[in-house]
Amino acid sequence: MFDVEKAFGGTPILKGLTLTIEEGQTMSIIGGSGSGKSTALKHMVGLLRPDDGEVYVDEQNVSRLDQESLYDLRRNVGYVFQFAALFDSMTIAENVGMGLRRMPSLNDEAIDERVVECLHMVGLEGTDQRLPSELSGGQRKRAGFARAIATRPKYMLYDEPTTGLDPVTTAVIDELIVRLSDELGVTGVVITHDMKSAFRISDRVAMLYHGGIRFEGTPNELRMCEDPVVKGFIEGRPELMGIAP
Amino acid sequence: MPHIVRPIQAVGRTTLRTVGAVGRAGYLAVDAVRALRKVSLWAPHLVGQMAKIGVDSIPIALFVALFTGIVLALQASYTLTGAVPLYFVGALVGKTMLVELGPVLTALALSGRVGANIAAEIGSMRVSEQIDALETLAYDPVAYLVVPRVIAGAIMFPVVVILADALGIAAGLGTAVSRLDMSAFEFLKGLRLFFETWDVWFSVIKSISFGLAVTSVGCFFGFHTTGGAEGVGRATTRAVVVSTMIILALDAFWAATLLK
Repeated sequence: MFDVEKAFGGTPILKGLTLTIEEGQTMSIIGGSGSGKSTALKHMVGLLRPDDGEVYVDEQNVSRLDQESLYDLRRNVGYVFQFAALFDSMTIAENVGMGLRRMPSLNDEAIDERVVECLHMVGLEGTDQRLPSELSGGQRKRAGFARAIATRPKYMLYDEPTTGLDPVTTAVIDELIVRLSDELGVTGVVITHDMKSAFRISDRVAMLYHGGIRFEGTPNELRMCEDPVVKGFIEGRPELMGIAP
Repeated sequence: MPHIVRPIQAVGRTTLRTVGAVGRAGYLAVDAVRALRKVSLWAPHLVGQMAKIGVDSIPIALFVALFTGIVLALQASYTLTGAVPLYFVGALVGKTMLVELGPVLTALALSGRVGANIAAEIGSMRVSEQIDALETLAYDPVAYLVVPRVIAGAIMFPVVVILADALGIAAGLGTAVSRLDMSAFEFLKGLRLFFETWDVWFSVIKSISFGLAVTSVGCFFGFHTTGGAEGVGRATTRAVVVSTMIILALDAFWAATLLK
């Protein structure tokens, strides 16, 4: 992302954001609520177009792609939504199989097999015929995760994948993110507030602050960072950030 | 000075909002026309939408038509008694049901049922990021959500309206026979006297345009919903209000252009 600017209703959210994510790496983006993390993520897959600046994926300028090229690009991207965004009129199996049905190389049998495999990976065996409304919040989130990985994408974008999950499920999801990266070379971008997760899964971490990058580096560099804003955020000490507790 | 400026500012803001909405509606219309060629995305949902928009709307449409037919026959008798032969009741009921009240009242009833339902459904999908999810899974949401609903509306509104026309006329006949001291033969004589096949076509043309309007407006407001549950409520209300206005404007337009 180069010099990306985005405003909503006259309120600037991203102010010249520049961020590079290397292939095969997992980058966590941290930052306070409203700092523009989700907005940045949506730019990477063309759900939002920048007011100014450019976003490149695979050397393609996402903000200038026509609709069909954008859909071609998205076939290589899995997106885990903050609140799962499951289709509430469909069963969990239908939800997970949605992206697979856009792949002409897969027949119904192969799709069913892949769905079962993905549900197993996230620990949701036996829920395939249930509706999203019949699952707990954490289960819905995992179903959303299964849907995102079902197409075996080259890139994974995670919008708070572990928020609201219990510690065990969080560890399972973290492990999955690490495995996708280590074993399959998937490039990942993770929006998270969970610093424990960020340290566990990331090759690099970027902190967004007031619409721009305040810090970028490895998890170790983040731990050593002396910037009071960064330190205050990762240690949960608002007084360091100039915010009255 | 602020007293003068504020109303001007309000007019300016409203104008800008309206122009913006018209522009967005234009974009959605262009996208919908382009999405027509993605048959594999919309065709599987067409029959389901036809059932939801058309078949499920038949009870309310028939309910409206039944009472409209009864009232029309009674009012026609009240107006015409002593002035013209009573069999003109059949002519008036038939003509009015086919040309005006059948299509318009059915469309108004359906704008509440169908338009509101579409706006609420798509609006909920928008605020819960389901439309974004469709996009990330490489589904064109316009082809997937808008096109089947609009085509289903264009096909099913005329079907529902023709059924409503028929029941309204039958209700008028039943009322004439049971309450107005008329025979069925007299009523049908009047009905045939002024019947023209064109009236049926006119009813069909009008209802196709109403079907397109109600479903498109519902889709538009649903698609542009913002602001959570409150936003969904707002989109639903706007969809009903705007489609009602468009139905009445189209009604006048068709009368001015086709009834000569």
